Order: sequence, then structure tokens, then C-alpha cells
Amino acid sequence: MEWKNALIYIVPSLVVLFIIAIYPTLYAIWSGFWDYNLHRPDEWVFAGFENYLKLFSDSRFLSSIGITFIFTFLSVTGTMVLGFLLALLFQKPFPGKNTALALLTIPMVMAPVVSALIWRVFFFEPDVGIINWLLSLVGISGPYWVSSSPWALISAITVNIWFMTPFVMLIMDAALSGLPRDTIEAAMIDGAGYWQRVWYIIIPLLKGPILFTLIFRITIDYRMFDIVYTMTRGGPAFDTELLSLWVYNVALRTFQMGYANAGAVVMMILIGITCLLIVLPIIRGKGELL
Amino acid sequence: MIRTGPVKIKKATIYEILRLAAIVFVIFVILFPVLWVLLASFKSPGDLMRVPPVLIFEPTLVNYNVVAREGFLFYFRNSAIIAISSVAFSILVGVPAAFGLSRFKTKGKGGIMLYILSVRFMPYIIFALPLFFLMSRLGIIGTHGGLIFVYIIISLPIVIWLMKSFFDSVPRNIDEAAALDGASQFRIFWQIVLPSALPGVATVTILSLIFAWNEYLFALILSGREAQTLTVGLTRFLGGMETAVRWGMLSAWSIAVIAPVVLMALLVNRQLRRGFTGMSGD
Repeated sequence: MEWKNALIYIVPSLVVLFIIAIYPTLYAIWSGFWDYNLHRPDEWVFAGFENYLKLFSDSRFLSSIGITFIFTFLSVTGTMVLGFLLALLFQKPFPGKNTALALLTIPMVMAPVVSALIWRVFFFEPDVGIINWLLSLVGISGPYWVSSSPWALISAITVNIWFMTPFVMLIMDAALSGLPRDTIEAAMIDGAGYWQRVWYIIIPLLKGPILFTLIFRITIDYRMFDIVYTMTRGGPAFDTELLSLWVYNVALRTFQMGYANAGAVVMMILIGITCLLIVLPIIRGKGELL
Repeated sequence: MIRTGPVKIKKATIYEILRLAAIVFVIFVILFPVLWVLLASFKSPGDLMRVPPVLIFEPTLVNYNVVAREGFLFYFRNSAIIAISSVAFSILVGVPAAFGLSRFKTKGKGGIMLYILSVRFMPYIIFALPLFFLMSRLGIIGTHGGLIFVYIIISLPIVIWLMKSFFDSVPRNIDEAAALDGASQFRIFWQIVLPSALPGVATVTILSLIFAWNEYLFALILSGREAQTLTVGLTRFLGGMETAVRWGMLSAWSIAVIAPVVLMALLVNRQLRRGFTGMSGD
């Protein structure tokens, strides 16, 4: 009886999800086994595992995996550390804290495309951009930020960290505010120094929110498209071609749809495994996640 | 007691002053790019190219006029139609689903929740190419309807996950009492539980609107010409942007894109923050 009642509420959403998410995923997996071109969308040639074999000898694809890994690792580490430190800085109440937090939400709600563009045009522009102008004041002639390696990747990571740090900060601030005061005060009486308290007491208490934020950050950075596409289009050469950009470029520049879809499937599997590796120990430890 | 001798400033006070200074500095650094572009959008082409950059200049609306001439309103209208419709649809479908998932013990509930969450975290590009084909077949590529439909991928998981946690926080004994009084299941949902979760509906609406408004990947691949959104319209100009005129236009366009969202975010900031932190699944 319960089950039937619930169906009326849940089924419409499941139908919608099937059409927009499950069906496309299955389609992508299926078409990864075929060879077809965007120009002749009706000529499908069965390829079996050929696309997948080709992927793993395709140096551009393999380096795309590496770049995505570096991008994700540095962005996630940067935002988590900075966001957590900022949350500690903001933790104790101060007059105007609410306004301060409100102002910090501004970069988060801006379109990533706009942020990327602002940085690219006004900050990283080699001749009239602010960064190279500031560097010139101290006698350094700055590089071509978004069009030379490794600066292009570094620039993109910088923008992403700027964009996402407030998000981590807000979550950590909320989590810190929810901590039991007496535990922390007890530690103070025991004479623990500030950083010791943070490391041995606060961080272990925040394990749940930290792990969830970590997964959130990893998956979002892993699929990054808009900021990097706007800043570099994947260049110079393919030096900032993240996996999402690789799939996009292969599909819509070289029109090899089957091959692009096979790449997208590999991309999905890789992040799935990563998430499982992070989540499984927690499920085992606690018995339950949801 | 009257104090004599020099006033001692406590170490704690100095720390506090340093902390507040650091906070002000952090906020300045984080907001600097936005403020900079806001300034730039009012600069004349000549002032824009000055090195070192000028802070004092005669403000002009010339960039905004160029933006208006380049068809800003056309893109604005597309973005608004698509974002609002798809979020409305997601609320309509997703809120009841969240209620169902919150109130009923069902087989496979954990699995359903996990799948919905995984859609939120999935690389969107895997949906984009198949949807491109599917929509071409149906002839809805480059239409508002097509993008409205696709944007549900973004908003529906947010709506269901967050609304479920809002429904979970509405005490169960309220609906149990109503059930004893003979209220139907739907009445309990519509007249009792939903009204107490309305702040939650506001939160998920704002959050989903922001994500839909800012979306780029799907719009780039699927919006064609007639349904092109603001974000895609903006990057159209990236190619030849060497000239100061382009710079001015880009900054004015950027400001106009973010203005509605930033204003909304500041107006209902508490709900927004609740939504952002709620997404972390506390």
C-alpha cells in the first residue's frame, strides 16, 4: 500500500529522468561501439571495441586524462584548503558577518563563462591585462598567460579556485557553526594550541561534511567545461584539453561521433570508480550513507 | 576605580583587529574582478586601453548602448524563457517526488536517491551528444522547448534532493494526525506538509534558476540560433576582441548577464546560502 501510494508522486520524475538522463547515457554507451560521422548520421558501421582500443593508444586522449587529473587535483586541493582556512577566519561572529557572507556568494552565482571572460580579458591579457602590468612594476615581463604552457593550465586553475573557494567556505562555515561548543572548549582547557585543536578535534568532527564537499568538488571539477573552454578552447595545442573539451572537440570538430561517445563513456567510468573508491570505505565503516 | 598609567591593549584585541583586517582584505580580493569589470563597463574606449589602468574617468553608457544594439534583449529573452520554464517544470514534477521519497518507505528508495544524485554529478557531456541526436530527430534542436527540456537535467536532481531534506524536517506527527482525521494523502501533501516546506521551495527555485541562467555547455551545443542564450551570445564576441570597443562591450554584456542573478542572490541571500550548504548533503 505504501509503495503504491508513493508511485504516484515519484513516477513522473522517474519518467522524465529516463528520457533526459538514462536514455542518453545508454545511447552513448551503445554508440560507443559504432563508427559514424556527424555528416552521415545514418551510416553506422559496427566497430565493436575498436573505439575503445583506439582511445588507449590515442596520446591526445591519454594526455587529456592526465590534464583532467592535474586540473581536478590542484583545483580541489586549492579550494578545500583555502575554503577551510577562510571558514576558520570567519568563524567567530563579528559585526557585519552576514553581509560579508552575502558578498562572498557573488562570484558563486555569476555565470562561469562571465568569470572566465573577465579574467581572460582584464587580468591575463598579456599587453594591457592587470597581472602583467603589476608584474612590470617590479620589473618582470609576464608570460602570455592563456596562450602558452604551462601558464594556460595554471591560469584556468586559478580562476576555478577563485570561483569555487567561497562555496567550500560557506559549507565549512555552516558545518563549523554546528559543532558542539563544549568539545572545543574542553580542548582549550586541556591546553591544546589553536592549530592542534583544528587538526585533532575540529577536522575529525567535520569528517562528514568534508568528505561530501570533497566528492562534490571532485565531480564538478572533473567535468569542467565552461571556464576552460572560454579561456583557452583547450589550447595551446591540446595542453588544456580536459576530458569534456576532448569529447566536445572530437564530436563537433572532427565529427567522429562514435569515437567521442566512447571517450565520454570512459570519462564516466573513471569518475564513477573514483567516487566509489572514496565512498565505499565510508559505507563499510558506517553501514549507511544516505 | 580610576585607571592610571598607560592603557594596555590586550593581545586578544590585536588579534581581533588583524582578523577583521584579513576578512576585509579577503572580501576585497574575491570581489575585485567583479568591481573591476563594473568600472570598465562605464569606461570609454580610450580609457579602457590605458596602461596603467585609470580609476578616475568620465563614466559613459556607450558600452551599454552597443550591447543593446547587438541584440542583448533577444538573448536575455531566450535565457529567461528557458530558465524559468525548465525550473517551473522541475518544481512541478520534482516536489511531489521529493514528498514521496520523504514520506513513504519504498523498496529501492536508496537506489533511486543515489541515481538522482549521480545525475547531478555526472559529466554532462555524456548527455549532450545523444541529446543532440535525439533532438535533431525530433526537430526540436535550437528551439526553446528543446532547451527547456534539457535543462531539467540540471534542476530536477537539485529540486528532489533538497526538497526531500526539507520535507524530512517537517515533523511526521503532523501528517499522522491529519491522516487520523481522515484527510486524503494528497490533501496532507498539498495543504499540510507543502505549506510548511514553502521556504524550501523558494530555496530550490532560486538555486535552480541560477544554474539554468548560467548554463553554457548544453546551450552551446543545442541552442542553435533562435534559442541562443546570454552565455553563448557573450562568447560569440570572443574571437576578435583585440579592440577596445569589444572590451567595453564585453564588460557591459558581462555586467548585464550577472546583474539579475546577483541582485536576486543578495535579496534572498539567507535562502540561497541554505541551498548551497544544503547541497553538501548535511
